[in-house]
Amino acid sequence: MNTTTAPNLLQRFAARVTEASSTYLEVAGWQQVVEHAGGYSEVVAIAPSLAAAQPEVRELLEAAGVRVVVPDGDDPAAEVADVPVAIVRAEMGVAESGSLLVSEHALGDRVVTMLCHRLIQVVAASDIVDRLEGAAEWLAARNGQPGFASLMTGPSRTADIERSLTIGVQGPDEVDVLVLTATDPTATTEDDA
Amino acid sequence: MKPFDERLDTALADDNVRTGLTSFQRGWRESRDTMIGALEEQEGRSFDELRQEFAAIKDGVRDNWDHYIDRFTANATAAGATVTRVGTPAEANEAFVRIARDADADLVVKGKSMVSEEIGLNHYLEDVGITPVETDLGEWILQLAGETPSHLVMPAIHKRKEQIAELFTRVLEREFPPDDIDRMVKVARTELRQKFLASGIGLSGANALIAEGGSIMLICNEGNNRMSVALPPVHVVTVGIEKLVPTYADAMKQVRLLARSATGQPITVYTNFVTGPRPGQQQHILLLDNGRTAMNEDPDVAAALRCIRCGACANVCPPYGVVGGHAFGHVYTGAIGLVNTEFHHGIEEVAGPQSLCVSCGACAQVCPTDIPLPMQILEIRQDVVESGAAVPGGRIAHLGIGAFGHRRLVDLGFRALGIATTPLRRDGVTKIPAIIADREPFATRVGWRSPPAIPVRPARDTLKRGKLAEPTPLDAQPLAGRRVQLFLQCLSDRMAPEIPIATAKLLRAAGAHVMVPREQHCCGLPAYDAGEQDAARDMVRQTMQTLEGIDDVVTPASSCLAMLKHDAPHLLRDDLDGLERSQQLAGRTYDLISYLTAGPGRLPAGSLDNGDRTPVTVHRFCQASNTLGRRDAIEQLLRDVAGVPVVPLPEASECCGFGGSTSVRHPEVSAGILDRKLGCVDRTETSILITDNPGCILHLRGGVHASGREVRVLHLAEYLAGRLPDATSADGSPDASTNGA
Ligand code: SF4
Repeated sequence: MNTTTAPNLLQRFAARVTEASSTYLEVAGWQQVVEHAGGYSEVVAIAPSLAAAQPEVRELLEAAGVRVVVPDGDDPAAEVADVPVAIVRAEMGVAESGSLLVSEHALGDRVVTMLCHRLIQVVAASDIVDRLEGAAEWLAARNGQPGFASLMTGPSRTADIERSLTIGVQGPDEVDVLVLTATDPTATTEDDA
Repeated sequence: MKPFDERLDTALADDNVRTGLTSFQRGWRESRDTMIGALEEQEGRSFDELRQEFAAIKDGVRDNWDHYIDRFTANATAAGATVTRVGTPAEANEAFVRIARDADADLVVKGKSMVSEEIGLNHYLEDVGITPVETDLGEWILQLAGETPSHLVMPAIHKRKEQIAELFTRVLEREFPPDDIDRMVKVARTELRQKFLASGIGLSGANALIAEGGSIMLICNEGNNRMSVALPPVHVVTVGIEKLVPTYADAMKQVRLLARSATGQPITVYTNFVTGPRPGQQQHILLLDNGRTAMNEDPDVAAALRCIRCGACANVCPPYGVVGGHAFGHVYTGAIGLVNTEFHHGIEEVAGPQSLCVSCGACAQVCPTDIPLPMQILEIRQDVVESGAAVPGGRIAHLGIGAFGHRRLVDLGFRALGIATTPLRRDGVTKIPAIIADREPFATRVGWRSPPAIPVRPARDTLKRGKLAEPTPLDAQPLAGRRVQLFLQCLSDRMAPEIPIATAKLLRAAGAHVMVPREQHCCGLPAYDAGEQDAARDMVRQTMQTLEGIDDVVTPASSCLAMLKHDAPHLLRDDLDGLERSQQLAGRTYDLISYLTAGPGRLPAGSLDNGDRTPVTVHRFCQASNTLGRRDAIEQLLRDVAGVPVVPLPEASECCGFGGSTSVRHPEVSAGILDRKLGCVDRTETSILITDNPGCILHLRGGVHASGREVRVLHLAEYLAGRLPDATSADGSPDASTNGA
């Protein structure tokens, strides 16, 4: 998945993300992600899997004066209960639907995407695939493991009352999709391919 | 659940249901059509191709069901889940309670699960002291209100915002203004969050079971489902075995069709793939049969197991739009509910709801898994008739159909009725004396539609050789030298003879030699529609016999064509000789419009243009659109050949409410559908409504007359014959349109 992203793939992805009521942003590296998150809150949660795989994210946040919560204790839900902003890293983006595939097996990973108000989803441009079958391949290659993967497309919503659309129900009410485009050395130190 | 009659009465008494659902159906249709159009463009393939591809995947699973169930079970078990097969609702409920007891749980948070509704889990849990809490907003509203879902996807769609605001104000003991939907929605978050964190079990359904990895696919928009799955220490899945798909790639095909068909979204906010429990959690998967295996063994209905519960079949259903899902269905609502209820809940539970189906065929058009729902519903209807289960108007229908099989009896009866009602004949309708008409229940049940005038002489008399004056031939003679057998259609012959007469005139003016076989009676559709398939078969066979030969057969009734082309082969599937003959007959049978546009009778542009430019509008007979695939042929012919401006009718292809027996069994429902149709006609501001199915015409005329509207309802043949050179002197002229007896 390290091939360069065709520009129209990125454009289509951006269009679908916006249609799903998320905010789309291209960023050069994690520094910019951190600035973006810090702009909204002085406390930010990061998914434990991200904290483990890319410790520099936490360092950058703390360097910027942001308090970081990594919910990896016994009661992760309680740890993030009052944290308004969370950052997760997506395995891939799907241009066809504007979805982000987020793998979140551990409870700590799940609570950050469920309980915060603003969810920042970070994906590398090189991890954007054309069609949903790309996500199917990812799942098939792992036989569904590690155990919980979600295609997330926009903020939570409902139209249960008179089919009137309301954004932000039980999950996040704001979703920012940040695409890492640059080859900046601090940008993507980790890439699983 | 209350008995059907009560549910129906409640629905009919609540104006909110109809107003709310009509606007819901309209809004949904628009978004869905846009989304499906975009999908076709994106995929470079038609909706039909896409749904057939997915249907084949689902059928393939059922052909090797045990293999896929085993494969799923093995993979899910390897991922740490406990998979249990349960046969009946009781077994499922007991299994659930065992899990709850082992986990010492007395609070259950529930994501949306239709299977949990199917097995009546909530009641069962409450009885044993376990508290279930619905967390989907719509389901939660219903739980607070003590109701059940009325729709597969939008469970509370029958409720207006005012009702919900009132409910919240009462139950949550604080003020909720009805216009602040945002506030009502967001209160769910605060009210439910604590429940998620405190509960011992999270329950979910599954949108698909993926055999390949033992994963559950679970979609939702609100995010509540994810929390039910993730937060509690035990996750229980209740799911029907029909949800299996082989691979993740197959599941993606379902994803492409599902949300577009369900809510008119390209994809739901969350599409979760859950494989085994999270660390520190238990996962139990209860695979429910409850009649599914039996359904698979019945070739007439097995395809209904493809259903992905999108709700589209309810969203286009005219009677659903009038009464909602509490009457139109049992636990499962909409068209699919009229099929699977027999297998999941028994024939008594489907007997009432199935009688509401108008057989318009709209559901089959939008179903993303290509289930032949209308045909299946008629199979269920036949089962109901055979079982002797109580059904509204059942006995009368049975006797009526029995008698209707006898042509001479029907002939005599109508002639007698014609003579008897002669003094009551006014403006083309039968004027019921006030002493009866003003009485209840007559006034409400029948008053909305004036009954047609019954002529003393049927069309077949007028059409006897030499009786009808030779028409002035048209300049164009596309039918010169052609022999045409005219199939009158049983209703028009006796109740609207002007329709077959106008048809004959038109065909003769275009050069045809028109013959009217004396023995003809009825194609069998009314019997088929009433669930009396033996009687229907007899009538089809009788019709095939009378129309023997090699000549073209033309009928003014598209419904008869749909019967011969579409339903007769199904009815005669076990009679190879009959099947072949029916196919031969169907091959040379045309309804008037197809004869004049796609058949040998093509009329040149302008050939019926008499200069009259009064605008008209066209109701498209629902089955012609949905079953025969006709689009704007009538409109085009009117514009091109008659030179008349046609104002498009909103919801042109929607049923008018005649719906075979529905207008007799359920007059209030039929009246509701008619009202929607006539409301659309009003919006066109035209005074001439043209269509081509006699049943619709009698129904629409009756409704127009009773409501005092100034609209003339004409069969296409009448309208066109009225533009023939010698029209004014003939009884096919528009002035004699309403039963010119
Ligand atoms: S029968 Fe078809 S349209 Fe109806 S809910 Fe099932 S999949 Fe949807």
